[in-house]
Amino acid sequence: MTSTTAARTASSRVGATTLLTIVVLALAWFVGFASRLFAIVRFESIIHEFDPWFNYRATHHMVQHGFYKFLNWFDERAWYPLGRIVGGTVYPGLMVTSGLIHWILDSLNFHVHIREVCVFLAPTFSGLTAIATYLLTKELWSPGAGLFAACFIAISPGYTSRSVAGSYDNEGIAIFALQFTYYLWVKSLKTGSIMWASLCALSYFYMVSAWGGYVFIINLIPLHALALIIMGRYSSRLFVSYTSFYCLATILSMQVPFVGFQPVRTSEHMPAFGVFGLLQIVALMHYARNRITRQQFMTLFVGGLTILGALSVVVYFALVWGGYVAPFSGRFYSLWDTGYAKIHIPIIASVSEHQPTTWVSFFFDLHITAAVFPVGLWYCIKKVNDERVFIILYAVSAVYFAGVMVRLMLTLTPAVCVLAGIGFSYTFEKYLKDEETKERSSSQSGTTKDEKLYDKAAKNVKSRNANDGDESGVSSNVRTIISIILVIFLLMFVVHATYVTSNAYSHPSVVLQSSTNNGDRIIMDDFREAYHWLRENTADDARVMSWWDYGYQIAGMANRTTLVDNNTWNNSHIALVGKAMSSNESAAYEIMTELDVDYILVIFGGVIGYSGDDINKFLWMVRIAQGEHPKDIREENYFTSTGEYSTGAGASETMLNCLMYKMSYYRFGETRVGYNQAGGFDRTRGYVIGKKDITLEYIEEAYTTENWLVRIYKRKKLPNRPTVKSEEATIPIKGKKATQGKNKKGVIRPAPTASKA
Amino acid sequence: MRTMVLLFFMLLAVYESAQQQTLEDKVQNLVDLTSRQSIVKFNMDKWKTLVRMQPRNYSMIVMFTALSPGVQCPICKPAYDEFMIVANSHRYTSSEGDRRKVFFGIVDYEDAPQIFQQMNLNTAPILYHFGPKLGAKKRPEQMDFQRQGFDADAIGRFVADQTEVHVRVIRPPNYTAPVVIALFVALLLGMLYMKRNSLDFLFNRTVWGFVCLAITFIFMSGQMWNHIRGPPFMITNPNTKEPSFIHGSTQFQLIAETYIVGLLYALIAIGFICVNEAADQSNSKDRKNAGKKLNPLSLLNIPTNTLAIAGLVCICVFFSFLLSVFRSKYRGYPYSFLFA
Repeated sequence: MTSTTAARTASSRVGATTLLTIVVLALAWFVGFASRLFAIVRFESIIHEFDPWFNYRATHHMVQHGFYKFLNWFDERAWYPLGRIVGGTVYPGLMVTSGLIHWILDSLNFHVHIREVCVFLAPTFSGLTAIATYLLTKELWSPGAGLFAACFIAISPGYTSRSVAGSYDNEGIAIFALQFTYYLWVKSLKTGSIMWASLCALSYFYMVSAWGGYVFIINLIPLHALALIIMGRYSSRLFVSYTSFYCLATILSMQVPFVGFQPVRTSEHMPAFGVFGLLQIVALMHYARNRITRQQFMTLFVGGLTILGALSVVVYFALVWGGYVAPFSGRFYSLWDTGYAKIHIPIIASVSEHQPTTWVSFFFDLHITAAVFPVGLWYCIKKVNDERVFIILYAVSAVYFAGVMVRLMLTLTPAVCVLAGIGFSYTFEKYLKDEETKERSSSQSGTTKDEKLYDKAAKNVKSRNANDGDESGVSSNVRTIISIILVIFLLMFVVHATYVTSNAYSHPSVVLQSSTNNGDRIIMDDFREAYHWLRENTADDARVMSWWDYGYQIAGMANRTTLVDNNTWNNSHIALVGKAMSSNESAAYEIMTELDVDYILVIFGGVIGYSGDDINKFLWMVRIAQGEHPKDIREENYFTSTGEYSTGAGASETMLNCLMYKMSYYRFGETRVGYNQAGGFDRTRGYVIGKKDITLEYIEEAYTTENWLVRIYKRKKLPNRPTVKSEEATIPIKGKKATQGKNKKGVIRPAPTASKA
Repeated sequence: MRTMVLLFFMLLAVYESAQQQTLEDKVQNLVDLTSRQSIVKFNMDKWKTLVRMQPRNYSMIVMFTALSPGVQCPICKPAYDEFMIVANSHRYTSSEGDRRKVFFGIVDYEDAPQIFQQMNLNTAPILYHFGPKLGAKKRPEQMDFQRQGFDADAIGRFVADQTEVHVRVIRPPNYTAPVVIALFVALLLGMLYMKRNSLDFLFNRTVWGFVCLAITFIFMSGQMWNHIRGPPFMITNPNTKEPSFIHGSTQFQLIAETYIVGLLYALIAIGFICVNEAADQSNSKDRKNAGKKLNPLSLLNIPTNTLAIAGLVCICVFFSFLLSVFRSKYRGYPYSFLFA
């Protein structure tokens, strides 16, 4: 009778805990979803930024034409005239996920446009990420810590930055896949079951199909296995889980077309293979140790290990040298040798999210969790076990990577949330527990202490006096105060996260927003205005030249052919566009004719003070062009005599005559901001421009948006005779001119105009 | 008169032939000079004949420098070293034809101050390119050290720009870093070997904990950014002469402020750990004996209440301080705690 009631109370307690857990997780999901909707509430349901536009376009294509057509899709509207093989150069996980959701909704007769699915995908997955984080932390520490971690990750700005509604990018679903893979790995390590390891490999497959950051997983898990072996924590559970994971994961990851044979052919994947081999040796030795004598074992151990180690190193280098295994890629080097990218790959260095991270962005993205996560790390190290080694390695490596590159803050955030969750739950567990159970034990401990410490009586009395009110160390008042203040910190985190999400991460960057003096919001829709103009007023096969940042948007919104886009796979093509932008008009005309350009699009922020415009990016165009055409483009020619970058009074002649300058500032000298300001005052740079009377010869202005943000020019067709001023062209014109002696160049006079005398 | 004319013609012929010879001679002379040393050291004579006098069909890359210790020129030596690297690479890797096209030379102020005067130079080091067609009085092309720097790659690029001879810069491997690392590893291994009977400290979790926490504090305070961008330690306002440790922009940071921030993070973490330790101590008094050895804080025998309160104060004060540092950089951030 009593046992059944006890069982019932126990089961009801379990039920209550489960219910509470589910409610908390559901709330975390809801809050995470809701806090990502700022952009939609303020603007409308649109896709943000640059890359998402491509993803959206690809998804749209897939939904229209089917998955297999998508895999074989050759996009002739990008990288004109080269085109781009899309199916083999994208991670299809994102498109497949939203396509699947769309299909399910469709078959339930719940018809939504694919755009809505794309827009809301990332917020939805943030809830799944929260759940995966809960599961991971539960395996690492305790369910309580898991709930904390789930709540943290749901609103943590470091993760929100990549997953607001409309930010339809790989990272949105990849972080879920990352966390879930880690959870399954820890689970399989704990149980040593092949089932969990296979599930882990499946989840890893999803991750591979979703994001290039999967390389982080395939290096972190072997690192974990290696650390466990070195620490002497080898077990058959490790052997089973790692070997089955590695084999399945490698085979599965090779099914993704973009990855292909990379897992066996590139150096990034070799550590995983090395650990796989090492694990076999270790397993063999564990097997042999009980079966042979100590002497034999030592010979086998030392001799075998040395030979095998040397052999594997030799084989590796032979394979690299022979070209069977690709050496590490440039992006990978730039993570370790921090000066590498700047010298060798300017196109990587030019991307703002590849810059190193200031402490401000750490604090901005993590707030209190940044301060508390070392505490969680500390306790994980203090109470280390097999799976906690994993989170330690994860945290330490992720904090390094996040320091090197801003965008890798994204991989640090989950680790921080897990560890901060552990830190908070550790404290709250201590400070919110029932008093009664502890009082009993503490009074017991008090008596035992009395007996033992008879020689330190004085101190003992003092400590007993101090703890007069409450015998259990920290008095209940202090407990309450500490708990309340910690809750205040948590509230501050919530407020901070909401503030950051609302103010910093919810701008679509397709639509700009500013405010007037009296606080009204002004929405500037110049980008869409320009793209819509292109869509409506140009020929369907018109080629639009712009800097690569806007390639995806032009393709997605204007549906026109672009020369270069954000998939920066062909540096020389980009350099050609950069060269056209930085040459004078005649030389640029030659290049544009060769490339069949019809329209040129520049972003100009001088009227409204938008700092992300092409003039500010111009130096990168010059640098990239110089990398490929050092003869024609020289960076120093674009500086003032004092070596500054300026478009103002002291700007160099080359600068004032280059195509970018002319297109940005054409007729800008006629504008006037206020009464007392001179015409042509550039609000972004804060000075009057250097040359106001700009005339265009080979191109003409086609369209300029309301706030001058986007300016579109049309390349003039050739007139009856070519009028390229050959002496101005910096491209050497091929073929010798036959101007010597009597063979003077024949000149066609302009047709005599009939004029009535 | 006739003899005079004859003499004149003879002289002219001799001169012509001499000149004709000189070009080949000059090149041969230079090739000889650079066969043993990769750069030519100029004195006034050589300077006149080899560099300033036409005809030439080769380019001279000449560095003007002052290497003697009497002249205070701290950057001359590193610039000279980089120049030597380029010259050596040219000597060993360029093709025969290229080596006859470009020669590297050096003018030291001590050897030939007249050349400095002739060129009207007051500063060193300076790198000039004397093109093959350059007349005696023309100003040669100068490399801008200010903008391009003077490392070997930049010099190589300058040479390639000017002469179309691409020198593949091969830097003699720098053995300092590997040697230092090897020594350090050897020291470490030696220490491990010496202490092989008590390797406990490798299993000491506190040590590992400190190491990991130090790494996180270092990276979270943006030391990597400092390493890559090399900002100044602090800035002194030119008007008020007031030193400022914190830069007012989110895109930039000073070394001083990263130290402050790292310290604040550490102090907050310590405060948190204190709070937890207080609770741990009160919970595990029955395991006091075991706990005493493990826990350095309990050795001080601080009453747990005090420890908890101290930890809490630590967290509150330093976190609000961190927030205010953040606010001073991120303008318009609305939230603060304790102090503005």
